[in-house]
Parts: sequence; C-alpha cells; structure tokens
Amino acid sequence: MSITPSPYGFARYLGRDENHDTLAARNTRLSRGQVIAVEIKRSEQNGSFQRFHVPYEPRMRVLDALNWISENEAPDLAYRWICGSKMCGTCGVRMNGREVLACWEAVEPEMKIEPLRNLPVLRDLVVDRTPFEKKVASFEPWIERRKNYTEFPEALTHKEMKDAAKALDCIGCMCCYSACPVIRLGAVTDFAGPAPLVQLGQTALDPRNDPAKIKRSLTQTGIFNCVSCYKCEEVCPAHIPIVSQVIEPLKTKTARLLPHLAKHSLALRAVVAARGRVDPTALLLRVQGLRVLAKIPRALRLLVRGKIDPIKTFIRVKTAAYAAAHRILSKGPELE
Amino acid sequence: MKFAYYPGCSARSTCAELNEATHLVARRLGLELVQLDSATCTGARELRAIDPAAFYALNIRILALAERERLPLMTVCNTCTLNVLDAHAAFVNDPSLAKAVNECLAPEGLHYSGRTRISHFLWVLYEDIGEARLRGLIVNPLSGMTVAAFYGCHITRPPLRYGFVDSRNNIALERLAKILGCQPIDYSGRTECCGFHTAAHDEKVAIKLTGQHIASAKMGGAKAMVTPCPLCHTVLDGFQREIEKDMSEKLDMPILHLPQLVGLALGLSPEALRIDRHMVPAHALADYAARDPNLIGKP
Repeated sequence: MSITPSPYGFARYLGRDENHDTLAARNTRLSRGQVIAVEIKRSEQNGSFQRFHVPYEPRMRVLDALNWISENEAPDLAYRWICGSKMCGTCGVRMNGREVLACWEAVEPEMKIEPLRNLPVLRDLVVDRTPFEKKVASFEPWIERRKNYTEFPEALTHKEMKDAAKALDCIGCMCCYSACPVIRLGAVTDFAGPAPLVQLGQTALDPRNDPAKIKRSLTQTGIFNCVSCYKCEEVCPAHIPIVSQVIEPLKTKTARLLPHLAKHSLALRAVVAARGRVDPTALLLRVQGLRVLAKIPRALRLLVRGKIDPIKTFIRVKTAAYAAAHRILSKGPELE
Repeated sequence: MKFAYYPGCSARSTCAELNEATHLVARRLGLELVQLDSATCTGARELRAIDPAAFYALNIRILALAERERLPLMTVCNTCTLNVLDAHAAFVNDPSLAKAVNECLAPEGLHYSGRTRISHFLWVLYEDIGEARLRGLIVNPLSGMTVAAFYGCHITRPPLRYGFVDSRNNIALERLAKILGCQPIDYSGRTECCGFHTAAHDEKVAIKLTGQHIASAKMGGAKAMVTPCPLCHTVLDGFQREIEKDMSEKLDMPILHLPQLVGLALGLSPEALRIDRHMVPAHALADYAARDPNLIGKP
C-alpha cells in the first residue's frame, strides 16, 4: 500500500514513519502467528498490569486481542463492546497512551491497555459514564421552538446546519473526554468537557432552537476554560472537528447571548482594535480590573527583566497596524 | 532565501528576546527576513471564536502583505501559525468568504490570491535550510546539554489538517536538538498543552497543567526546556514562580526559545541572544556557549 504524498512540508510529519504510525505500516509489521505482548490494567489486582501473549492474526484489532484473552486466558476480564464496527461507541480504551476504539484500531507488537481516564472505573476496562450523562441531561439536549413550522418540509440550508451536523456524527465513545487535559484537572474548573459539549452542539447549534433555552444551557458549560489544545480532535474516531466546528461556534453563541461570560475575548478584541497588536498589560488591566493589583509582585519582576513597558501601555502610538485593525474591527461583533 | 517575517505580538512585547534572537540566527543561517511591521495581531484564540469575519480579515491581510512582497511567510509563534493556516484554508475553500475579505482589504490597496506559503521557523530549518547545511553551520555543538523539547499545540494539531499527524509522533525538535549537539530527553509533557489560552482570565489551568510538564522534564534530567512558541514560553518561564508555589517544589528550569538554542550552537553569544531576559535565570546555560571569540564573531 502506498502512502499518498502530502502537499505540505515534511517537517510537520517527521516521526510518523519512524514510529510506524500508518495503517500500512501496522498491517505489515506483524505476521501470522507472531506473539503480541499485551499488558492490561486490572482493577481487581489493585490496578496492576497483567501480561498476556496473544498470537497475531492478519488485520487483528485491539478488540480481537481482548476477545482472545477473554476466551483463552482471563474469562473474568471486563471490557465493553456491542457493534464491533465503530457505531456504538462503547469499546473506547487507552492503548499505549492514546485513546482508541478497540474495534477500529490495529494491534501493535507491544500494547499497554488501560481504561479511559477522567471517568470512574467500574471494573478493568469498563468505565462509569454517569458524570457525562448527568452533564448532558443538565443541558436539556432537545430542541424547543418559539414558532410553528412555516412549511413542510422546512427550508433549512446546508450552511445553517453545518456545525450541528458535524456534532451529530458523535458516537459518544468518551475518547475525547479521556484525552482532555482540563477535565483531567477535576474541580479546578467548571469546564463541561468536549463530549458533553458535542452533545450540546447537536441542538444548540441548530438554527431552529430557542435562543432562551440555548442561553440556559450555555451558562453551565464553562466553555471559556477550553485551552484549544485539540487533544479531543486528535483522538475522535468520528473525526469531528470538535474545537473548530463545535466548541468555537458555541463560544460565538455564548459571546452573543451571554457577553459577560466572554469578557476576556471581547477585551482582546478591544485591545487589538485600539492598538493593532496585543499589549499584555493593557489586556490584563481590561480583563482583571482591580484583581490585577494582586499581581503587582509579578509585574515588578517582569519590569526588572524588561518584559513589560508601562510607557508603551499608557502612551499609545498610532501605528500602521493600529490603522488596519481599527478599520477592520470598528464594526463590533453581532450581539443578540 | 528570503521570507516575509511575522513575529506576532508576544515576540514584540513580553518575549522581545525571541524577536532579537530570530533576526540574529536568521542572519547566520543566510535567511533574509522582511519584517511585516504593519501586520496586526492574528486574534489569538479569542477573536476567531467571537468575531470570525474580523478574524479572517486580519489573518488574510497578513498573508496579503506577504504576497505583495512575493515572499513566503515565516512565523515564530504556534498560535499565529495555526491562525494564518486556518484563515488561508477557509479563504481557498470558500469563494464568498474570499470575495468579502478582499473587499475589506481593498481600501488599503491589498489583495490576496491564496498563494502565500506559510512556514514556522522550525519547519524552515528542515525544509529551507536543510539538515546537512545546518550541520555545516554549527561551530559550537552543545555537548552535554540535556534538553526537553516542548512542542506546544498549534504547530502539531489539529490532526489530519495541514499535514499534521498524531502529535505524539513528532520528533522534529528532538532531532534538531541532536543536530545541535544536545541530548534530548523523553518525558510525558512533550506534546502537551501549556494552558496559555485561558491564562488572561484565569491562570490556574495554565499553572496546574504546566507544572506537571516542567516537573516531568526535570525528573527526566533536563537542564533546559526549549519551545518553538512564545506563548508556551510565557507560561513555562513567566509563570514558573507561581507554578513552584502551587506545587511546593523548586523547579528552576531555564526555558529557551528555539532560535536561542539554535543560536548558541551557531556560536552566537548568550548576551546577544538575550538569554538574560528570562524570568528563570538561564545563565547556567552560558557554560555551553562558545568561548572562542573567533567563533562568536559579530552577530
């Protein structure tokens, strides 16, 4: 199997071939009868890893390896799967540090398999989805309408449904929830996490939904705590552009319906409009107001190192960058 | 080799040492940089979420400025790189957006036709300078320097777009570190997030996330960390005191910008590269700098 050459510079994918991270490489690295070393985290054995040796069969998936272990060596191994074909979203696990669907991932010569993170473990590889389900339920994940249908079938453009339609591809496998570094921090933030937000996106990004109801749901998302790291997209087996086509449109809606929650984003816009570029001190003053007083010790340290320049902050120079930004940003974002 | 150079906001303010080092290193590498002084901010992660139309206009404007110079664009900030990549992709895929943006740029006499090649400094080293030529330019191999590469997010993800692959495969920085004579270490934080994009309104996410990464690099034996992004640098270096307080642990991990590490190996002096400008003192790294004045030469 040949790999389609990339139209992009090679520096971006250095390492892919060295790590044998292509389907072609995986399917040719092992041959029938070779032994795969599998280590599985067992909750009944105090979370230690149990080692198994599984004979390789061509095109073997992680799920096939789990089935072989369950049938031959560990009948008490707990793992979930229903469809075996990337539809039900129940077989998500972490394999060698990355979230995968067991039914859709080729085996590797050595595998360390763990349950998904950020959810309580019920047993071995089975996690409790209750925290996710409770969060989704709190979003009232349905459509409420203020007006009756104007016609049937209802006129809806592809463009209007673009983002909601992407969110509808979700199979609820929780891979993104496990990969999210902010969710991993626990109660440090009120961030709902990628999986619940994708569920919310299915209805909140639907143009037929009532803005008052969307507003209620958006107050509970903590969405501006998303760090935009794209870890969720990296593991999504449904290839949903979670950050750019779900979380960002939801942020857009939040800024329009609940501007006080998007204060820092609006502040950045105002700073760029006023200066052309971001002056970090000006941004912090706008976002944090008097809270910034608590940061005086750090400000002094920054000043000593020449990292901030109060003269530049308080005496604005009208540069060419300012003129362009001012012209482009002079019309404010639409607020509802 | 000539590039239109977009430093971004950080390299012109809190990380001005990055801008200085980039210019010096570029000269040593034979890169001619035409700095786009009238370029604006790319809008960080905020503008794209709350005002997409303005986001596209500002970013396409930067690409149009480079196109007017008939030059490829070189960036030194991960988030700026992804912003211009995203804006370029939207421009070439959506003719109505392209038309609207060009109408917005017309009063300045600017027009974009979608031809600007976008490259980050790290990619330029491999794709435009080349490993062989770079090896030939190294006069001061940084032998003995154990370094932890911190990639950041926006030149490695989102996956399946712009040539990005699963970010955990990335080896560009480690391979470069070896070319420079350093010993790269393996640690858990290499392709993780620094949390910068929530730092303006709430620092605790950045502090908690980045603390784990620095601690892991330290445990792996790193004498320094190197990053291709000034926003990551701001958290790794600028917040390190707060991170130490949060973890109740002394870290003292010097953080270098990528051009500074390259510059040391090219024989540039630590003073010229402004490694004195970091919040966590990096003067111990001066031990690895060239001693021979003939090697250092004039920047």
